[in-house]
Amino acid sequence: MSRGAAIAAPRRGFVHALRELRRAFNTNITSWIGLGVFLAIVLFAVLAPVIAPFDPYEQHIIDRLKGPDATYWFGTDAFGRDILSRLLHGARYSLVIGSVATVSAMIIGSAIGIVSGYVGGRVDLAVMQVMDVLMSFPSLIMGLMIVAVLGPSMGNLIFAIALTAIAPFARIARAPTIVIKQRDFIEACRALGFSDLRIMVVHILPNVMAEILVLGTLWLATSIRVEASLSFIGLGLKPPIPSWGGMVREGFEVILDSAWLSIFPSLAILLIIFALNMLGDGLRDAVDPKLRGGE
Amino acid sequence: MIRYVVKRLLFAIPTLLAVLTIVFVIVRIVPGDPAQTILGDQASQEALENLRRRLGVDKPIAVQYIDFMQGALLGNWGESMVTGRPVLTEVWAVLPHTVDLTVAAILLGALIGVPLGTWSALHRNAPIDYATRIVSLLGLSFPAFVSGILLLLAFAIELRWFPVISAGKLDNPVDRVRNLVLPAINLGIIMAAYVTRVTRSSMLEVLGEDYIRTARAKGVPNRAVVWRHSLRNALIPVVTVVGLYLGILIGNSVLTEIVFNRPGLGKLIVSALNQRDYTMLQGLMVVYAFLIVVVNLVTDLTYGFIDPRVKHG
Amino acid sequence: MNRMLFGALALGAALAAHPVLAQKTVLNIGMASADAGKLDPHLSATTPDKALFNFMFNGLVRFKPGSMNPETIEPDLAEKWTSSEDGKTWNFSIRRGVQCHHNYGEITSADIVYSLQRAADPKRSGFSSDFKDFDKVEAVDANTVRITLKNAVPSLLGLLTNYHGGNIVCKKAAEEMGENFVKKPIGTGPFMFGQYAPKESVTLVAHKGYFRGAPKLERIVYRYIPSDASRDLAYTSGEIDMLYGKGEQVWVERMRKLDNTIVDVFEPAEMAVLYLNTKMKPLDDIRVRQALGHALNINEVVQFKGAAVARAAKSVVPIGYLGFTDDVPLLKHDPARAKALLAEAGYPNGLTVKAIHTSLPGMLSTIQVVQQQWRRSGINLDLEIVEHATFHAEIRKDKSAIVQYQAARFPIADTYLTQFFHSSAIVGTPTAVTNFTHCNDADAEIVAARSEPDPVKQKALWKTAQQKLMTKVCALPIYENMLVWARRANFDFGIKLEGSLNLGPVVNELSHFK
Repeated sequence: MSRGAAIAAPRRGFVHALRELRRAFNTNITSWIGLGVFLAIVLFAVLAPVIAPFDPYEQHIIDRLKGPDATYWFGTDAFGRDILSRLLHGARYSLVIGSVATVSAMIIGSAIGIVSGYVGGRVDLAVMQVMDVLMSFPSLIMGLMIVAVLGPSMGNLIFAIALTAIAPFARIARAPTIVIKQRDFIEACRALGFSDLRIMVVHILPNVMAEILVLGTLWLATSIRVEASLSFIGLGLKPPIPSWGGMVREGFEVILDSAWLSIFPSLAILLIIFALNMLGDGLRDAVDPKLRGGE
Repeated sequence: MIRYVVKRLLFAIPTLLAVLTIVFVIVRIVPGDPAQTILGDQASQEALENLRRRLGVDKPIAVQYIDFMQGALLGNWGESMVTGRPVLTEVWAVLPHTVDLTVAAILLGALIGVPLGTWSALHRNAPIDYATRIVSLLGLSFPAFVSGILLLLAFAIELRWFPVISAGKLDNPVDRVRNLVLPAINLGIIMAAYVTRVTRSSMLEVLGEDYIRTARAKGVPNRAVVWRHSLRNALIPVVTVVGLYLGILIGNSVLTEIVFNRPGLGKLIVSALNQRDYTMLQGLMVVYAFLIVVVNLVTDLTYGFIDPRVKHG
Repeated sequence: MNRMLFGALALGAALAAHPVLAQKTVLNIGMASADAGKLDPHLSATTPDKALFNFMFNGLVRFKPGSMNPETIEPDLAEKWTSSEDGKTWNFSIRRGVQCHHNYGEITSADIVYSLQRAADPKRSGFSSDFKDFDKVEAVDANTVRITLKNAVPSLLGLLTNYHGGNIVCKKAAEEMGENFVKKPIGTGPFMFGQYAPKESVTLVAHKGYFRGAPKLERIVYRYIPSDASRDLAYTSGEIDMLYGKGEQVWVERMRKLDNTIVDVFEPAEMAVLYLNTKMKPLDDIRVRQALGHALNINEVVQFKGAAVARAAKSVVPIGYLGFTDDVPLLKHDPARAKALLAEAGYPNGLTVKAIHTSLPGMLSTIQVVQQQWRRSGINLDLEIVEHATFHAEIRKDKSAIVQYQAARFPIADTYLTQFFHSSAIVGTPTAVTNFTHCNDADAEIVAARSEPDPVKQKALWKTAQQKLMTKVCALPIYENMLVWARRANFDFGIKLEGSLNLGPVVNELSHFK
């Protein structure tokens, strides 16, 4: 059920892509673990306003820099704010920025890739050259630059991160498109007078869906990492918003006295990225025939 | 071989132009009027016009583009608005630190990653393979500032083995090494994670190839097969990782420099950001653009030398 | 290969553990700044730069080292002085044989005249407004300088100390180098400029020909380490011997626990004030400004900073300055009143105020406490955080509705009132200093007090000025923070450090390691 199989059965569409992914799952237990951890984090984030023990912004000056105890499970920061509550609320920002950026890049990138591959010729060459160049630019440096000139708002962060992720999606969507467009059934579709748009959306897109979704998972991890890194550098959301990278930055200032301030958000960042990488890696193993192919 | 080199060199030129164009777009077009950004909205018209003239942004955009490209290509990368020194001078001053860090990290990554990846591939699907894959996945999940902080806590704060600030004098070799160890380990383990994975998969590919199968069928021991091809296979993943993950390497080195308070390109760019030194930022972007194109060229050429098949591909 | 790596690790460990044995003559200082600013004593007013000028420059007179009490002012480059009856004409006899750094020659009255004129020139100085009452400065002969004033000023000697525009630069060097003077500032003090490594350090070397004798220290390495944690760690690991401290209780307590360490808490207290731009919306409405004041909980901020280092501010003039009064309408903490005032002003659902703020950790933490206090009353403070030097540049362009400024000045009410509240000091104007508020309500009293010969009447004028400014809510005083530094116990300043107007410790020819 590799790419070959998908191409042989072009009309099964999205259902088929999903089935392919599900099959991939069964082959790899780490995918399950990754998915489980990720969904747990999403759940915590969604429920943050309900389950967080404190208002993430409220300062308890008397209780500042308290180590983990029965009241403040993960301790408090320099302003006496509850770290656990800030972590729970911070997850929302990480997830929203990461996923909106990734999904936008996924949509734009795939569209560019499919169209470029479908049109072919010089246009394709030029587009791919631009994509290669875009891809070679370090995402952190690019993000840094864009946020620096535009200012650190949520929209700008998403824009900066999405921009660096477009090229990989374009690339991965283009390759199978080129193979598929030469197949007989596409010719047949053309002969029947189907529009190019319809051919691309109905017949090509489903065949590249699996790869795009796998890459999407991996890029979600990257997006979250870039967002955290920008926040750590000081280009993230402004205080007092509890972004994880920003929390590590604040904690780093008092690392001598109160290491937990930087440790807990650091571990949270690591956990979500690791979970997404496990998920994406397992999926990729299943979808990529080269890695799966026997010796 | 010469034809291949020439072809690659020629190919690098449009790439460089394209990268520089992207830099131009980001620094000149995205922020609107740079003079306004620099001076603020209360600035007098006169001051704005003076600065525009100084920055050359009063000209039509096409002229600006040509000026920018000309400056970038001729090595005129501008001057810092804060210190007034040429970007190149500033870069030159910190470059040894960044080179030290990067080279040490790549070496460390290769020393750990290549044997581990090979080992993992040879024990495919054995518990040791799974363990290696999970650990390497964990390794590449670390943003460099997270691993850096954990290392700093353990080895500089708790155990006090290493200095916390890594800005040693370059002329003192002992200091230089001592300051390098922790940051290099930090960047090195992340590199090792990537190298392990790439080694593993390329090793699997090699083991599946015809001539290896033939060698094995002829009764050549597995170990001999691995050894015979190990040198080449050791280099390819390292080169691949450097080429493919250059962006991640650069990003992580920036974060490493911040955590360990180590001078370098990364710290330069971050302080330029904080000080709103736009000309410095633009100059550094040009530096990065050159860096990217050169590293890509070098990795391509290295491929050509290590793996003769690439030339025909 | 592995053995090599372990070898390197072991070597590193051994080196890190090795103690310094020889008697030290190099003082390593860690400063909370990313980089040097403009290294010209007449241009830069930032704390990191001023602390450095402290080691390099002399004035005509000086505070007794380690003190900032105006009564201790003593001769420095001037050996003695006389003044006329009306206090408008002053003659200073310049000390002979004082050498400029780097062989720029002996200092004469020409240098003094040049330096004071330079400090009074807005094109070349950031402190020109301090000298606006100067009529002329002239050389009577090679060793006598005459200063003629347009009218008497509250403290002429204060202006002529080794502080801000009073720092004397060497004429030949300044003329020769022009704008490049910032790259190699030349004065007459115990230490002279050695080299500058961008974003890393400034190295000063001993000025062997210093007129009070060759310094006992060979060198001072002034390192820029913006991160508090990194600076603390650098001290703990022995890389630096003295460091700028976070003015916070926890820091003081932790440092005091360390071996071989002395924490110096000294004057002046820097007063943190929120200056409110009374011309910018929505702060042009006094009810909004009052709401900000009522929403503010000063005691909580003091608690946050810690009683060992902080005290509540009482007026727009710092406590203890000549002319200070606490008989002013200070807005009480009253969130309900704040909300009511906002509703009255047309913001029943709260409002957002934008401000540009420095990333300097001590100030940033203060504003975050304030931010949360305001948030409780429905005021959203939207901060744009920039590096400290940038912050200073931006706020002087009149770009921020609220400016948190921490400062200490020459300890008489006139300096503070003139620089922060007189209309001539309004930012964005040609005579700008640091009036971010656009208030001009106390202009008359400020001017009258300057030349008022009767001390009682003078104090009454300053009191009225403070009352007017507080009533109009031009600014919200928050707290006063003492300066905190820490050093190795075996480093001896050679003087008793109780105060330092330049905001940094006094390191001079007497300072040494024991």
